[in-house]
Amino acid sequence: MNLNTDMTVNRITDEIWEIPMSEKPGMLVPARIYATEGILQAMDSGVFDQVTNVACLPGIRRYALCMPDGHWGYGFPIGGVAAFDVQDGVISPGGVGYDINCGMRLIRTDLTLADVQPYLEKLMTELFRKVPAGVGASGFVRLSREDFGRVMTHGAKWCVERGYGWHRDLVRMEEGGCIEGADPSIVTDHALQRGINQLGTLGSGNHYLEVQVVSNERIFDPVTAAALGITGHEQIVVMVHCGSRGFGHQVASDYLKVFEKAMRRYGITVKDQQLACAPFRSPEGQDYFSAMNCAANTAFANRQVITHQIREAFATVFGRSAEALGMELVYDVAHNIAKVERYAEGELVVHRKGATRAFGPGSPELPETFRQTGQPVICGGSMETGSYLLVGTDQAVRDTFGSTMHGAGRTMSRAQAKRTVRGEQLQLQMKKRGIVVKAVSMSGLAEEAGLAYKNISEVVESVARAGIIRKVLELRPIGNIKG
Amino acid sequence: MPMAWTFRFLEEIALADIAFEAEGESLEEVFRGATQALLECMANPAKVSGEWERAIERTDVDPSALLFDWLSDVVYWKDAAGVVFREAPLTVTREGDLWLLQACLIGAPVDQQTQELHADVKGVTKHLYELKQTGGCWKVRVVLDV
Repeated sequence: MNLNTDMTVNRITDEIWEIPMSEKPGMLVPARIYATEGILQAMDSGVFDQVTNVACLPGIRRYALCMPDGHWGYGFPIGGVAAFDVQDGVISPGGVGYDINCGMRLIRTDLTLADVQPYLEKLMTELFRKVPAGVGASGFVRLSREDFGRVMTHGAKWCVERGYGWHRDLVRMEEGGCIEGADPSIVTDHALQRGINQLGTLGSGNHYLEVQVVSNERIFDPVTAAALGITGHEQIVVMVHCGSRGFGHQVASDYLKVFEKAMRRYGITVKDQQLACAPFRSPEGQDYFSAMNCAANTAFANRQVITHQIREAFATVFGRSAEALGMELVYDVAHNIAKVERYAEGELVVHRKGATRAFGPGSPELPETFRQTGQPVICGGSMETGSYLLVGTDQAVRDTFGSTMHGAGRTMSRAQAKRTVRGEQLQLQMKKRGIVVKAVSMSGLAEEAGLAYKNISEVVESVARAGIIRKVLELRPIGNIKG
Repeated sequence: MPMAWTFRFLEEIALADIAFEAEGESLEEVFRGATQALLECMANPAKVSGEWERAIERTDVDPSALLFDWLSDVVYWKDAAGVVFREAPLTVTREGDLWLLQACLIGAPVDQQTQELHADVKGVTKHLYELKQTGGCWKVRVVLDV
């Protein structure tokens, strides 16, 4: 087997591969990669190096994991999952990512493709107007410092209290859209200044808002789909991918600096500067956890304000209220976060970086709404292909600390993508295929071309076969907004 | 007269993000090269006017930390003031043990109609970050999270 590493990689099953502890000095646990043989062979060398670096971090339990959408990241690979004992383990901003609580949200509608098609251009223009995207974009919500503090502690709840959403939205979010233990007093003024004007903005890079269609033939589990409010028949849904914007990035940058110094004090050495960490129970570790929760709540609030704007845009275009259009939230899930969760080993700080929580129906942490189905998992593909709605499994809880993949994963650099296709040309090609694209930056659009990503269906298939998700349905894009 | 600094984007690293390498004949020039690379990542500077200005002064014993913090300042002001940049004239001088950066960020509020916007740079990372002097040349490698 041809791999981009000299390390020994043993086949455990057709979808699980293990790098033994003997492959790198300092590894405390083996590393496991979830992938088909084809995906494994295409993985960049950074994945193997980084996942084994993670396996060296103090207090890690069982395995350092990487999901099939894994690729090179900062410190941890994207697609990385690692769990550390709360007593003797660490917390690392590199295991969460710069965009804290970057995540996915899916909103259903009662509309069909036939309803939307005649108004698609108008709808995308209205969405583009309502949801600011791109460099330096600011949102319509004006916040005082006190208000922003409430956003940090209350997340999506703050939005709903202010009329940006419905109370029933909250039950359909990871942690109800509000994580406890957020303390705004330990967030720097720099972070606050970067984030205070950005609520309700999409950002750029791989962040997007997408209008999608669900066809009957792409529903794999009609019972679960129906329980989640999706019945097919060319039904229209809206997907949002974004996070905590500049605020979360500044929190991550601030604490990487703090942890670089703290590591010397605690005698911790790491294989990569970007793996800077501190004992979870240390003052520095607790401060970061609390600041990270502020950013996570801000991200929930960001996606909630965007949802409000999406509902308003649909109401404007179709002349009916969002409630009359059946625009209920399907789910909102984080894929860049660290959380304290209980497993067989006890209480662990589970880091998911470009990986999604995937709790099965048996998880007591899930609200009643998802006790039959399992927790929804939203996986975004490239803007040219498709995305997936999946559900978590009890096997994921047993095998991968209740975690799975988050998207397709890149295979091509941004520069190479831009050389291969021009933004204007891509926009035209997609229009011919029935996908209306609105973008702030044409170069940014080219960077996100479908050819720059792995085949999401193969990625999803590998985790389905490994038993750590169940497939519910596939979504096809008809409109996309990019920063 | 040829510029005393250059930069080039690196494709072989940072698949999902942006990496560049800047070179200069002096420490000051490598600061200029790296700054220009960062400004161009965010927008085409030629299409940005100059009604917004911010003077920035920083000191550090470590020139590598000084450059990292300065580039992070640029990213910070992009979000905090909602601006993109036309230019950032700067000087780097030695004062005893300290390196002193004096710079002025010049730009304008983001305007999607008149500016050519590129990537929303979110952070300067320490991944593969390295500032070094080889012979008569200073070189820095920077990976930006976008």
